[in-house]
Amino acid sequence: MNYQRPELRRALAADYAIGLMPLTARRRFEHLMLDDAALRLELAQWQETLSTLTAPLEEQTAPEHVWPAIVARIEPQRLHVPEKRSFWNWMRITAVACSLIVVIGLGVLYNRDTINYRATLTADNQQPALNVQAHARYLNVEAVNVAAVESGRSLELWAIPADGVPVSLGVLPNDGKGRVELSEAQQKLITTPTILAITLEPQGGSPTGKPTGPVLYKGALAAL
Amino acid sequence: MNGITADGSRAQPGLTCDQVAKPHGRYLHLVWRNTIPSVDTDELGQLLAQCSLGNRRAFETLYRTASSRLFAVALRCMGRRALAEEVLQEAFVRIWHNASRYDANLSKPMTWMINITRNLAIDQLRRHREEPLSDEQAQALFDESPSAHDQLDSDRQASELQRCLDKLEGMQRQSIITAYFHGISHADLATQLAAPLGSVKSWIRRGMERLRRCLES
Repeated sequence: MNYQRPELRRALAADYAIGLMPLTARRRFEHLMLDDAALRLELAQWQETLSTLTAPLEEQTAPEHVWPAIVARIEPQRLHVPEKRSFWNWMRITAVACSLIVVIGLGVLYNRDTINYRATLTADNQQPALNVQAHARYLNVEAVNVAAVESGRSLELWAIPADGVPVSLGVLPNDGKGRVELSEAQQKLITTPTILAITLEPQGGSPTGKPTGPVLYKGALAAL
Repeated sequence: MNGITADGSRAQPGLTCDQVAKPHGRYLHLVWRNTIPSVDTDELGQLLAQCSLGNRRAFETLYRTASSRLFAVALRCMGRRALAEEVLQEAFVRIWHNASRYDANLSKPMTWMINITRNLAIDQLRRHREEPLSDEQAQALFDESPSAHDQLDSDRQASELQRCLDKLEGMQRQSIITAYFHGISHADLATQLAAPLGSVKSWIRRGMERLRRCLES
């Protein structure tokens, strides 16, 4: 077809304007209009003509609710975004809180290290010599004022439960500072009213399993 | 090439008498602006320009000014208020987003907005109209037209326009109005009017030409 024929252009534009063009022809016409200002003008004139068909219509006031609905459609950022943002904030805070709880929980599980008992061991003169912190699986011994230990001797730590039979908890370093791991049997002894005591033993600890030397320091366990 | 020029002002050889006699282009456009009464075109044009810059206040003013006219168009097309409200809402959303594409040199603001509204309406109608119209539906469509035609808004009772509409023969007016407001195809029109397809086509084509020439004269 020769789309430059004025009567054809006018007829096509008329069909397009009133809406009586099949879909494929419509697409072709729209494509033609892209580079053809005169064709766009031709169509605009038809549309102007046809719009006069609406002139006799009596104006109808639109219901009140239409305008708010339009505003809601064109301003989604004002109506929806704050909601969305608060939702995401809430999500973020929750996520951070959950992570913290998980991290702390795991930390507590892996490092459950609370001190259950404490004892201050004193010398005969009632001066504090050592502090003992009893954790679940070990004792932490801190020297406060420990007399020097002569060579060839060791300090041995004992638990003396209510029945009075001392159980060895192990040999301490000579400076009195150290960590004493507890066996399960030993762990059961670490409770009130057990008394902790340190004796002076031959190097490496009592050979008999019972205290053989003098008690240098002692003190009762106290629950925290 | 022997096509019309950009402003269409050059008379073409080989045209029918009517077409040669008609002025084209911008001159014609100016004549038109005087023949069709409507809400103040300049004001609407400025509002649309403001809308294209994102001015919400201008958009609200545009709505207050134009919505009753466009709602009347939507109602005329859809026939039911609920459907017409949806079309009106969609139309204004589109007007807002496409305001920058309005070309003042091409069409009047109200025409542009009526087109958007009417296109949305007939798209809706065609979507709902999967099957050909039943006789009752079609009859309802045609029954509307004379009464709507007679209901002239007194403010806009332009005698010129009325004269041009009156010039159309009954069948011409009926088929044009039905096609325009309801998007009925040639074939469906032919079925409903119990007329040959060729007759329907020629009623519409001649009717449109007559209307356009009358408005241009």
